[in-house]
Amino acid sequence: MARSLNFIDALNEALHQEMERDERVFLLGEDIGVSGGVFKATAGLYDKFGEERVMDTPLAEGIIIAAAIGSAMVGLRPIAEIQFTDFVTPAMDQIIQQAAKIRYRSAGGFDCPITVRICCGGGVSGGLYHSQENAAWFVHEPGLKVVMPSTAYDAKGMMLAAIRDPNPVIFFEHKKLYRTAKGDVPEGDYVVPIGPVAVRREGKDMTVLTYGFMTQVALDAAEEMAKQGVDVEVVDVRTLNPLDKDGILASVRKTSKCLIVHEDKRTMGIGAELAAIVAEEAFEDLDGPIVRITGPDIPAIPFSPPLEKFFLVNKEKIVAAMESLAKY
Amino acid sequence: MTTKTGRSVAEMEPEKASQSASQSSELLLGLYRSMLKCRMCDEKARVLFKQSKYGGNFYSAVGQEATEVGAAYTLRDDDWIAPSHRDWISNIIKGAPLKFCYAQLFAKATSPDRGRSSPAHMGYPPLNVITPASSIAGQLNVGTGVALGLKKLGRDTVVVAFFGDGATSIGGFHEALNFAGVHRLPIIYVCQNNLWAESVPLRLQTAVTDLSVKAQAYGFPGVTVDGNDIMAVYDASVRAIARARAGEGPTLIECKTYRWYGHSEIDPAKYRIKEEVEAWKKKEPIGRFEKVLVEQKLLNDQKKAAMAAEITAEIDEAVEFAEKSPYPDASEATDFVWA
Repeated sequence: MARSLNFIDALNEALHQEMERDERVFLLGEDIGVSGGVFKATAGLYDKFGEERVMDTPLAEGIIIAAAIGSAMVGLRPIAEIQFTDFVTPAMDQIIQQAAKIRYRSAGGFDCPITVRICCGGGVSGGLYHSQENAAWFVHEPGLKVVMPSTAYDAKGMMLAAIRDPNPVIFFEHKKLYRTAKGDVPEGDYVVPIGPVAVRREGKDMTVLTYGFMTQVALDAAEEMAKQGVDVEVVDVRTLNPLDKDGILASVRKTSKCLIVHEDKRTMGIGAELAAIVAEEAFEDLDGPIVRITGPDIPAIPFSPPLEKFFLVNKEKIVAAMESLAKY
Repeated sequence: MTTKTGRSVAEMEPEKASQSASQSSELLLGLYRSMLKCRMCDEKARVLFKQSKYGGNFYSAVGQEATEVGAAYTLRDDDWIAPSHRDWISNIIKGAPLKFCYAQLFAKATSPDRGRSSPAHMGYPPLNVITPASSIAGQLNVGTGVALGLKKLGRDTVVVAFFGDGATSIGGFHEALNFAGVHRLPIIYVCQNNLWAESVPLRLQTAVTDLSVKAQAYGFPGVTVDGNDIMAVYDASVRAIARARAGEGPTLIECKTYRWYGHSEIDPAKYRIKEEVEAWKKKEPIGRFEKVLVEQKLLNDQKKAAMAAEITAEIDEAVEFAEKSPYPDASEATDFVWA
């Protein structure tokens, strides 16, 4: 039976169910226990499973991740929470030098099946240090799987996939989706495989490659374009590493036009790699330039409302890009 | 001898190792042989490097053998070691076959990591020696995570994490020890304070005299021992390991010691004065312990020569294995990225 759930409730359900199913699973992070997390993603888990399995940690991201890594190396399935992606930097040594490389550098002698939940994204007046995305930092690291679901259904299904994956998985949760992305979520156990893209809207005139909260915005823009007679296909690149090249290229080859949309900064961002893949492998199929709509190259999302608005990609910016690309 | 925190190394007996009358001759000779083997293996590794038999670099632990043997000698197969770049010999103590240790230096396909890590960055997964990264103090953090996992699994298994004085300055040291204190984790932090972090002297690393005082801030015991006195390190370690196995939490053991050579084989260590090096060589752990064993009539020149000959044969066989082993095929570079 499916019922309509918020993104965050779907996530929460995944954590409840997997902790019941697999006693190796435990959670650790800041404020995730008694208080249930600053966004309540872990609500009810402490009461049900106790402080050994839902650990409120010291305020120290490095050891949160290291504690997860070491526990995973002895056979447990830890899920670490980084409260805001803006605070993941103290844990970068552990994520990049340890989690991403321990299997490689030990030739498979040690595995690191950890899930790192990271809350990210702007548009909530979070200011410089509660609005960043930073997914691009992690996709550059082979050995780390990186996902960012955009629907409640995927939130649960990809969380279950992440926990069961034998690799370290960085699981990005855009905070704007927590209570705006609502949809049917099955009550039972199901997995949304890490890897394949999801075509959220089929179309024949233009492909939009996007992920996370921007998927919703791109879908709104696509509806706007439909009124103008332009049929846009929206592809949700919900796994950012490893990329589903076949899924991406299949859509671009079909529509011959490629627009890439993401919230984060532009230079060397995820859009740059998507554009490179399309340019290298589907050049002959393109009818127009590959276009990117992204955040600007400024250090982070500023706080003052007009400044924040300047940074964020919205429907109008996407529609404008679609209109000019449609002319080719 | 084990000292309470606060005793400086100058007050320790410099010439002779302490003895433990209650210990069996088998243990004493075992400790001695293990140190001698580590010294000979390490010196052989240096020679092989200088002969260009392998590339990269090597980080010799000659002079520090007592800290490694004393701490790791009694570990069980299922116990863990979190080594740093200078703890290649900890694999030997844990029981990794010598042929694999040299295959590691030679970066051959027969090395435990199939040629991935730099020569001295060796782990041995079958005996739970964690393959180290180069990030300073990174092994303390991962080792602490392992200790958390072991505690959660309800095992009486322990972790020994090795690091130098330099590693006590980085944030990861604080995060690891603080966390281990909070959760009373089964881990022993063994600091090999050799007075130099590459070229930086201890006085520029810390304002404290004894690094063991730092444990006080984390709510568990810290002891400073003469790290060139095998029985002092051994006694402190046995107590710390028993404590960890019993679920009573971590211990920080600071071993005051000295590395004879540079930070690595390409470091002539001109930042140290000759007098300092010579003074420490006089206090080196193997010769000191030898005097004790000779006095107790457990060791004589003949026995020592036989022991050395045995070890030499073992090393020669291991080096031959490493030399004859093939390099990994280039296509293997993409293996083990994903599980």
